[in-house]
Amino acid sequence: MTKPIQAINRYKADLREMNFLLFEQFKIGNLLGKGAFEAWGEDEVKSTLSSCYRFVKEVLGPLNVVGDQEGCKIVDGRVVAPTGFKEAWKQLYEMGFRTIATDPEYGGAGAPHSVQVLVEELCSGANTAFNMYPGLAFGAAEVIEYFGTPEQKKTYVERMYNGTWGGTMCLTESQAGSDVGSAKTTAVRNEDGTYSIRGTKIYISGGDHNLSFGDNTIHLVLARIDGAPAGTKGLTLFVVPRMRFDENGVNTGSNDVHVTALEHKMGINGSATCVVNFGDDNGCIGYPVGGESELNKGMPQMFKMMNGARIAVGIQGVSVASAAYLNALDYAKDRKQGSSMAHWKDATAPRVSIIEHADVRRMLLDMKARVEGIRALAVKLSNHQDLAKALAGQDDALAAYHQGQVDLLVPLAKSYGSDQAFRVCETAIQTYGGAGYTRDYPVEQYCRDSKIFSIYEGTNHIQAMDLVGRKLGQAGGANLQAFLGDVAKFIAANKDHEVLGADLKRLASAQEAVGGSAMRLLMWFQTGNVTMVPLNANRFLEMMSEVAVGWLLLDGAAIAAAALKELPAGHADASFYQGKIAAAQFYARNVLPGVEAKAALMGNEDKSAVDLSVEAFATV
Amino acid sequence: MKILVPLKRVADPDNANKIKVNGGKIDTTGLEWKLNPFDEYAVETALRLTENGANTKARLGEVVVVTLGPKETETTLRSALATGADRAIRIDAGDDAIDGDTVAHALAALIKKENFDLILLGKQAVDGDSNQVPQLLAEYLGWPQATFAATIKSEADKALVVGREVDGGTLNVRVQLPAVVSVDLRIVAPKSVTSVHTAPTHNYADGVRFAALMQIMAAKKKPLVEVKLADLGVTAAPKIEYVGFELPPARKAGVKVANVADLVGKLRNEAKAL
Repeated sequence: MTKPIQAINRYKADLREMNFLLFEQFKIGNLLGKGAFEAWGEDEVKSTLSSCYRFVKEVLGPLNVVGDQEGCKIVDGRVVAPTGFKEAWKQLYEMGFRTIATDPEYGGAGAPHSVQVLVEELCSGANTAFNMYPGLAFGAAEVIEYFGTPEQKKTYVERMYNGTWGGTMCLTESQAGSDVGSAKTTAVRNEDGTYSIRGTKIYISGGDHNLSFGDNTIHLVLARIDGAPAGTKGLTLFVVPRMRFDENGVNTGSNDVHVTALEHKMGINGSATCVVNFGDDNGCIGYPVGGESELNKGMPQMFKMMNGARIAVGIQGVSVASAAYLNALDYAKDRKQGSSMAHWKDATAPRVSIIEHADVRRMLLDMKARVEGIRALAVKLSNHQDLAKALAGQDDALAAYHQGQVDLLVPLAKSYGSDQAFRVCETAIQTYGGAGYTRDYPVEQYCRDSKIFSIYEGTNHIQAMDLVGRKLGQAGGANLQAFLGDVAKFIAANKDHEVLGADLKRLASAQEAVGGSAMRLLMWFQTGNVTMVPLNANRFLEMMSEVAVGWLLLDGAAIAAAALKELPAGHADASFYQGKIAAAQFYARNVLPGVEAKAALMGNEDKSAVDLSVEAFATV
Repeated sequence: MKILVPLKRVADPDNANKIKVNGGKIDTTGLEWKLNPFDEYAVETALRLTENGANTKARLGEVVVVTLGPKETETTLRSALATGADRAIRIDAGDDAIDGDTVAHALAALIKKENFDLILLGKQAVDGDSNQVPQLLAEYLGWPQATFAATIKSEADKALVVGREVDGGTLNVRVQLPAVVSVDLRIVAPKSVTSVHTAPTHNYADGVRFAALMQIMAAKKKPLVEVKLADLGVTAAPKIEYVGFELPPARKAGVKVANVADLVGKLRNEAKAL
């Protein structure tokens, strides 16, 4: 007999930490109540986070295990999402959190991005798979908002923002994964100016579902018009609705778009990953995003919007890692096993909670440091977005600096956030021991769910190549210089810090190692030693991420140390601030020294992986 | 119907382990504050009585929330406005200057200045657990009262039928408005509140409604006025003097007994329970 699935919430979040980042570390109070963020004050931000947290614990969280165990299915050619998802979709859109940072013109609340990413963390952490559906509708709507014709904006954007319609991004084909330019889906111009779309896309998240109010999904499809150039330069982005509809948005009939299969995956089982066929019966109509003037510009359009999607994946990493850490922490406080080291020879000594064991403590603090580090990186990045928006038109040079930092940090937030998420989940399972490997606890699901983050939305190697091939040299290298300069300024201002001084030296060494390694990459490019670049790109991205995270953790620790001094004895916040300092010190002492070691590895210029013949990898 | 809902902020019960006793007082610095859960239920009840459950956007009555406290308590008021209350009043007062009796006097004075049909309160606050204000307030106003409401049905002739939580069941009483009603936790069950505006078949979601984002943003624009305690003519000094606080003693570790006889022996000789 199978056990019935218990819909209980396991998600938890630390709102004190979130409020620390927003108001104490990144001081978004300076942005609120004026300009673009006129409507927002500290009260609104805090109320939003606490209301959202309650919502996700009561509505999304209990469905996380349901989606995992039940999965999606195809019934009569339509995708049916797991039990409860439809009602959750309705409630999510009633709450309005999906469009918290969207322009009020489209029904949004115009909040800072830094608040949005934390709302996103809460939703995604409580139920990653569910959050994919509204997340993809949102991302596709943003593309149309940015690049669509006035008529396309009017027709699609608000309906996709408010839950009337779902949305997808259809890039991948079986022969065109990371190599998007190999896409074979075709578009043929009809006499009325529309295009007939034909082809098969795979790995389409939310490719169909029964959740949206109007029961329609708007696909953004990369396709090649007859005679367009080969490769990415010949791809056009089309708006392709699943159903045709009238002027009121009411479905009128099929647009010849069909889901033919679902993938069976390692995780995010509640998210339907679809094979979508367009135009099997030659009846699929699409419209180029932005109209006739934008043909063959599909890739630049996608790239422009990919920043948002990549940040969102970094946030998925933060969210699941944080949930795994906080669950492991709970378990470690509760589970009794073994006696204290002080009584290790005494078999009758009282059993203690496993959090009393040094190695469990090490794992917990390791997770805490990594989780808080990648969260700080995501909020820092979004803070740059907000400042770029607030300063646009007032101080264009400063706005450009902030936008440059966004571009530079996106691959870090996506890759390091996702890589660390998987590792944190693994450590969380280890903290539980055998119990963590069972379905009785949530961490094995977190671990399975998180693996995809390093793969989709551009694999982490694609991100690393984006960083070293495009971003380092962007603006003549000014963005990288500004980043290293920001870190250097922080070091100079705090190098004699009474608590953190020694750890700042470690940050300084790591920062120098990154600067030197960036020069080494440049040299490889210049001297034609380009094979070294992909061999070391991931390593360099990790090094630079570690410097960024180390810097932000130590910055937070310096703020915590100052706040701690001002606290009256016995204040409830004291342990919170002590935790911030300890996490930064742990990271500085256990992770940052590795940056120099990795720089030395780059210096070895080891090519054994590419020098080896294919036959030599194995005899089978 | 015009309803007044008095509110109290309490230290977040989820963070109860942070509470520190400092020189015979509870040290409130750094505590996270939350609206008293029973008061949340009172707000939810008031909203249900002043709307059609099938179309909650149109308001069919007025819900006014009030609290006594320093400026920071406006956050508590805003949180109630964000779930749908229409306007708010803060009676400026220091936490040390008030007890249940002064609160009841202040509320009575406020209510005499402005007509309300109904005063809805949580049955008690989860910090002091005093359970005094509703009863004192009804007495000072000379109004009928119904306490510990598990169900409320509004009737067209300005009366309420209140199902009171009592041992072994509920006791139904009819109160003529204006009246004071305090609510218990079952009041937020899907069918606990029956309003004249809502179809009897309507089912509310269990519990207190969420604060939607647009409501949170709208709360800032809703009226919130400040009234001085002295302007209400309240001069009564607190009657309750807090002599000291201490945390409950930590639980001692249990013992394992070898067999039933041992257990019975310990219960008889040590615990003297048999």
